[in-house]
Amino acid sequence: MTTTGLLCGLCVAAACTLMASGAQATGFATCDAGPREGWQPQDKLAAMLKEKGWQVRRIKEDGGCYEVYAMDEKGQRTEVYFHPRTLAPVPRGAKDHKG
Amino acid sequence: MKVWDRFVRVAHWSLAACVLAAWITAELKLKSAEPLHEWLGYAALAVIVLRFAWGWTGPRYARFRHFVAAPSRVLDYAKAVLRGVERRYVGHNPLGGWMIVALLATAALASLSGWLSVTDRLWGVEWIQEVHEALGNAVIALAALHVAGVVYTSWRQRENLAAAMVSGVKRPPEPGDVV
Repeated sequence: MTTTGLLCGLCVAAACTLMASGAQATGFATCDAGPREGWQPQDKLAAMLKEKGWQVRRIKEDGGCYEVYAMDEKGQRTEVYFHPRTLAPVPRGAKDHKG
Repeated sequence: MKVWDRFVRVAHWSLAACVLAAWITAELKLKSAEPLHEWLGYAALAVIVLRFAWGWTGPRYARFRHFVAAPSRVLDYAKAVLRGVERRYVGHNPLGGWMIVALLATAALASLSGWLSVTDRLWGVEWIQEVHEALGNAVIALAALHVAGVVYTSWRQRENLAAAMVSGVKRPPEPGDVV
């Protein structure tokens, strides 16, 4: 049953990867933006990006950041994180970004 | 006896590798893993399309007509499994046959929805992302069930069915087996 054993091993490895990643945040970056009272509204971020020539498709919260899906000024698909307090872009992979 | 032809075996393990790697690259949540995840989806879709074509034109045990059983036969087989009196199938048993259809269809839809979610038209649109994630999870759940079915049937029949998908060879039919 070596092949079955291999299959089981692969599944266990995959399950471990899943759980290990699940224990962390769910997204590509995390922000430390303090209490929500200090956050700027999503509408302001949307207006700011529209000003830059972006077509904003969706803004959602992820890992304490604002996650934006948009077409940028060149019409390219883009997915960028922004800090909710400063509205500064957050680099991918950032942990507890302070803005 | 030879049951699984070379194409079926290569397609099976290629798709299994694509699904497993696509799952891992999705869960890693790394920017660097995204292009690989996308290409794994396109590769999976290509394998599925070819497998569907082979299901019409391939040899006996590769054909959908041979292993997609009527609901009444699936039910009878499931009841026989529960009573521990199911017959041995040299090809796919009726439950396994439907699992293949379910896996191929769900994996195809997961790949397609992933593809759509990176088109200009649907970029960032919530529903396509939700649909893709749900289909991806469904593929993993079905694959786990598939592996469980393979392990159980291997144990029941004293035959390593995963190894048979590598070599293509299975024990010749005995009286009472379904050929």
